[in-house]
Amino acid sequence: MLRVENLESGYGPMQVLWKPSLEVKKGSITSLLGPNGVGKSTFLLTVLGSVEPWGGKIFYEDEEITHLPTHKKVDLGISLVPEGKHLFVGMNVHENLIMGAYRKEAIQNVNNSLELVYSLFPILKERDRQRAGTLSGGQQQMLTIARALMAKPKMVMLDEPSQGLAPILVGEVFETIKKLQAEVGLTMLLVEQNAEASLNAANYVYIMLEGQIKAEGTTEDIRGSSDIREAYLGI
Amino acid sequence: MIFQLLVGNLTHGLLLGGVYGVATMGLSLIFGVINVVNVGHGQFIMVGAFVALTMFTALGLSPVIAIPVALVLGMALGFFFFYTVMRRLIKAPELTSLLATFAMGILLEEIAKLIFGADFRGYNWAVGKITLPITTIPMSKVYAFVGSIVIALFLYFWFSKTRLGTAMRAVIEDNEGARVCGVNVGWIYALSFAIGIGLTVMSGVLLTMFIPVGINPYMGGRYTLKAFVIAVLGGLTSPYGAFFAGLIFGLIENGAYTLFAQIPGVAPFPLTVSLAFWMLFFLLLVKPTGLLGK
Repeated sequence: MLRVENLESGYGPMQVLWKPSLEVKKGSITSLLGPNGVGKSTFLLTVLGSVEPWGGKIFYEDEEITHLPTHKKVDLGISLVPEGKHLFVGMNVHENLIMGAYRKEAIQNVNNSLELVYSLFPILKERDRQRAGTLSGGQQQMLTIARALMAKPKMVMLDEPSQGLAPILVGEVFETIKKLQAEVGLTMLLVEQNAEASLNAANYVYIMLEGQIKAEGTTEDIRGSSDIREAYLGI
Repeated sequence: MIFQLLVGNLTHGLLLGGVYGVATMGLSLIFGVINVVNVGHGQFIMVGAFVALTMFTALGLSPVIAIPVALVLGMALGFFFFYTVMRRLIKAPELTSLLATFAMGILLEEIAKLIFGADFRGYNWAVGKITLPITTIPMSKVYAFVGSIVIALFLYFWFSKTRLGTAMRAVIEDNEGARVCGVNVGWIYALSFAIGIGLTVMSGVLLTMFIPVGINPYMGGRYTLKAFVIAVLGGLTSPYGAFFAGLIFGLIENGAYTLFAQIPGVAPFPLTVSLAFWMLFFLLLVKPTGLLGK
């Protein structure tokens, strides 16, 4: 579904991505693992076009989309759950969700999408008129995921969805991710530092260090290789 | 009697406050969306004043017709300045955009001087007046107030009910969040700048309906100052806040003028002009997020 080849990008004079390549298969959960500051978030932002690619190619459903502006990529059905949430804190929960359904294809299905996210996150329905800024951290994270789903995406990229959450909530978030794969058939690219939890959820894993892919394999491969686990994951 | 005088002047203040509100909404919108303080704000008000003057004196058209004309002309100016200048400056240091908007103001002043000369001008739109027990109000002021309320309601509708208006609010709140929702943020920047300038030029027409004299290429500066105070009062990034703050500012200004005039040996007008500075000073000291801000 998504194929990235030799992607390069960075900020100002500083190059962050040094030609990582990666593929996300339709219907799969693909995980991009690695410690803090190795370029995982930059990778997602570059795929979506928030950070301009310097080199390499991005294909989505076999079409090259490398230099499309972000809003056109969202129009094609790519959603991002960004790190740091980027919610509209002064708007209420409902308005945040409506903003999530901004792309044209999503507006027509807004009621179905609302039903879906409210069934996944009943707490958001209870609080639909509450301002997003007054929600707890866990609820805000749910709202960020829900907002991305409102776009009726074909593929969702999740940037550290478990960051800053209490352990019990981390479990809930990963349960939701698995549910989305099983019940909605959503394709997901999951960026995480939490190796254990994302190995449990993912079908295929890439390990990133210093802006490069250092290892890849199915979840079983990674689990089975003590070299990889010790060298890169510390588990 | 002082009480009657005060109530009368406060009525005028409230009406003028509506115009102040519209004259500030554009400033707040532009600051909110693209984080640029438009130092040339007052000069765009001046452009609106000349639109009203020219249409009235040269074509004999009522200022009411000049309102939509000013909006269209203002939006055209907004798009022009956005795509030629502002677009490059959104990510630049603040000083750059301050200088650029300052330069736009000077440019407009000098073009206006070239066309109209530097004389003070005015027009006389006689549409009668209404006499209340406490004061007499020219109908032109009432129309200006009604016009500003209509514009504010339109804007409220735009921001709360339309897709693009909601997207603008989203960009004000978090432009990265809006981007990942699929909003074409670059277009929202351009449109917001154009609407902001359109509102501002339009408010220049309303202002001449209120004060139909003193129209001059250099009239803008003092309105820039007032708009800054009102914008801070309203919480800077909120166009609604700006409108209500405009009403409050109109009331305070006229109320203070009335009271200053009662003090023997005091010239009330300069004192009232300085009031805006004092309000800005105390506001920044006590509640820098604005009276209506968070």
